[in-house]
Amino acid sequence: MTGLAIGLAIVAALLAFGLARERREFRKLRRWASQSRLAEAPEGKGHWGEVFELLNRHRRATLKRRRQLAQLMVRSRRGAQALPYGVAVLDAQYRLDWSNEAARDQLGLDPERDRGQPIGNFVREPEFVEYLRAGDFSHPVQLQASGRQARILSLQVVDFGAEEHLLLSQDVTGAARLEAMRRDFVANVSHELRTPLTVLAGFLETIRDLKLDASRVRDYVALMAPQAERMKRLIEDLLTLSAIEHAPAPPPAERVALKRLLERVRAEAQALSAGRHRISLEVAGAHDLVGAESEIASAFVNLASNAVRYTPAGGEIRLRWRSDGEGEFSVEDTGIGIDAEHLPRLTERFYRVDRSRSRETGGTGLGLSIVKHALARHQASLAIESVPGKGSRFAARFPASRLVAAAQKVAG
Amino acid sequence: MGMTEHISKQFEADLDTTRTRVLQMGGLVEAQILAAINSYATGAPDLIAQVIENDARVNGYEVAIDGACGQLLVRRQPAAIDLRLIMAISKIVTDLERMGDEAKKIARMSKRIHEHGTHQAQRFPAIRHAAQVAVKMLRQALDAFARLDVASAAEVLKEDSEIDSEFKSVLRQLITYMMEDPRTITSALETVWVAKAIERIGDHSKNLAEQVIYIVKGTDVRHTSFADVEREIARE
Repeated sequence: MTGLAIGLAIVAALLAFGLARERREFRKLRRWASQSRLAEAPEGKGHWGEVFELLNRHRRATLKRRRQLAQLMVRSRRGAQALPYGVAVLDAQYRLDWSNEAARDQLGLDPERDRGQPIGNFVREPEFVEYLRAGDFSHPVQLQASGRQARILSLQVVDFGAEEHLLLSQDVTGAARLEAMRRDFVANVSHELRTPLTVLAGFLETIRDLKLDASRVRDYVALMAPQAERMKRLIEDLLTLSAIEHAPAPPPAERVALKRLLERVRAEAQALSAGRHRISLEVAGAHDLVGAESEIASAFVNLASNAVRYTPAGGEIRLRWRSDGEGEFSVEDTGIGIDAEHLPRLTERFYRVDRSRSRETGGTGLGLSIVKHALARHQASLAIESVPGKGSRFAARFPASRLVAAAQKVAG
Repeated sequence: MGMTEHISKQFEADLDTTRTRVLQMGGLVEAQILAAINSYATGAPDLIAQVIENDARVNGYEVAIDGACGQLLVRRQPAAIDLRLIMAISKIVTDLERMGDEAKKIARMSKRIHEHGTHQAQRFPAIRHAAQVAVKMLRQALDAFARLDVASAAEVLKEDSEIDSEFKSVLRQLITYMMEDPRTITSALETVWVAKAIERIGDHSKNLAEQVIYIVKGTDVRHTSFADVEREIARE
C-alpha cells in the first residue's frame, strides 16, 4: 500500500515537475515569438531544445535572405543614384516616392522632404503640367527655364509596374545649343551673303535700265566695290574656317619665327587702324612656336584687327608676347568692352554682340571662330577678359610642348 | 505632410488639389515673367503677343482657386492651420495675379520700346539681373509654400532688398543716359516702367513668403523688420 502510495507520489511529483517545465518552456517560446525583432531562439530542455533549434535554423535562413535582399536593394538604388539622368519614382497619382541625386540637381527635388507630394508641386513649368494632364508619354517634353540656370531639360514619364511611373530627366542644354547653332549658321550665311548681293543687283539693274551719264555710273560702281569686297572677305573667311575645321592631320611642325610674325601682325593692325590708334608691341622671352604658320598668323591677325575695330579712335592697343614655361600672345585694348553674358558665345560663328556695329566696322562674324579653331589645333586656348566701357583682353595660351628656343638671330 | 488629422479624407484631398493648383499657377506666372523679360531683351513680337494672351490663363486660375477656397470655407468650416492655409492661399493667388499683370506690363512696354527702333536693350545687364533675382525669389517662395518651409521663406524676405538696390542703380544709370543725350528720354522712361514692374514682382514674392510663415507659425509678419521676423520664427 505504502509502496503504491510512494509510487503515485513520485509519479505525481514527476508529472508536476514535467508540467512545470513544459509551462516554463512554453512561456519562453511565447516570449520569443512575441518579440517584434527576429531574435535568436532561447536554449530549450528536452524535446523543446529540438524545436528551438529548428526555429533558430529557420531564423538564420530568413536573416540571410533578408540580407541578400537588402544588398540587392542597396545595389539597385546605388545604380539609380549613379545614373546621369534624373530619376524619380512616382505613384499612380504622380506623387513622389523616391528620387536620385541628379533629380535633386536638375529638378530641385528633395527625396526625404518632398516624398508623397505631387510632382507638379515642384516641377511647375506649364509645359510639364500640360504634359502630365494630357497623359501622352510617347515623347519627352522640353523645359527651358532660366530659373534653372538657363538649362534645357528633357523630361519623360515612363509607366512601370502596377500603376507606377518613372520620371526621367536629362540635361540637353549642350545638344540643344548645338542644334540652334547649326540652324543659325545656315540662316546667317545666307543672310550675310544676300545683303551685299541685293545692293549689287540693285545697282546693276539701275545701270542697265536707266540711261545714266558716265560720272553717275562711276559713282555707282564706287558704291558697288565695297559690297563685292565684303562678299569676298566673307567667302575667304568661310574657306579659312572650313580648311582649319576639316584639316584632318595635325598641323605641320614648322618653326614659326615669332619675332617676324609679330611684326607682321602689328603692321597689319596699323594698316587697318590708319593712324587712329596707338599700337604697341612688347616681346618678352626668346621662344619660337611650332605649328602651322598660316593658321597661327590668321589667329593673331584676327585678334589684333578685332581690337582695332572695337576700339574708338584715340584708344590704345597693346600686343604682347610672353614665354616662360608656356607662351602667351595677348591683345589688350581700351575699347568698348563686352558684357559678361556674351563671352561664352563669342567664338560661335556669326555670333554678334551688336549686329549693326559689327557690320559697319567691316567684320564678317567669323574671325573669332577662326581663332578658336586654329588655336585648338595647336592645343592652345583662348582666354577673354572684358569690362564693358573699359576694354578687353584676348589671350592665346600655348603649352610648353609648342615652344622651342628662338633661332639665333641672324645679323641684318 | 504634418497636418492635423482631418475628420474627412475628402477635405484633405480637396485642400491638396487646391495647393497644387496654386503651385501650377505660380509656375505659369514664372514662365510669363521669363518670357516678358526675354521679350524686353529681344523685342520678338510673337513672344510679346504670347505673354499678353497668356495673362487670361493666369486670371482664370485666380478665379477658379478663389472659388474653390470659398467652397472649402463654407462647406468644411476649417480651423487652425487649415483655416490659415485657405486664407493664405486666397491672398497668395491675388499676389500671383498681380505678378502676371506686371509681366504683361513689361511685354507691353517692350513692344513700345522696340517700336521706337534702335534701343540699347543689351546695354541693360542691371535690368536682366534684377529680373533674375525676382524670378529666383518667386521660385523659392513657391518651393517654400510647397514644403511649408519657414526658413526658406525667411530667406526670400532678405533677398527683396537686393532688388530694391538693383532698381535704384538702374534709375541712376538711366538718369545719366538722359542727361547725356536727351534723345534717349522716351525710351529711358519706358525702361523705368520695366524696372518698376520687376521691383513690384519682388515685392509680391515677398508677400508670398510672408504668407508661408503665417500658415506655419500663425504669426502675421507683414510690415515687420527682417530681424524681428527671424526672432519670431526661432520661437517655438
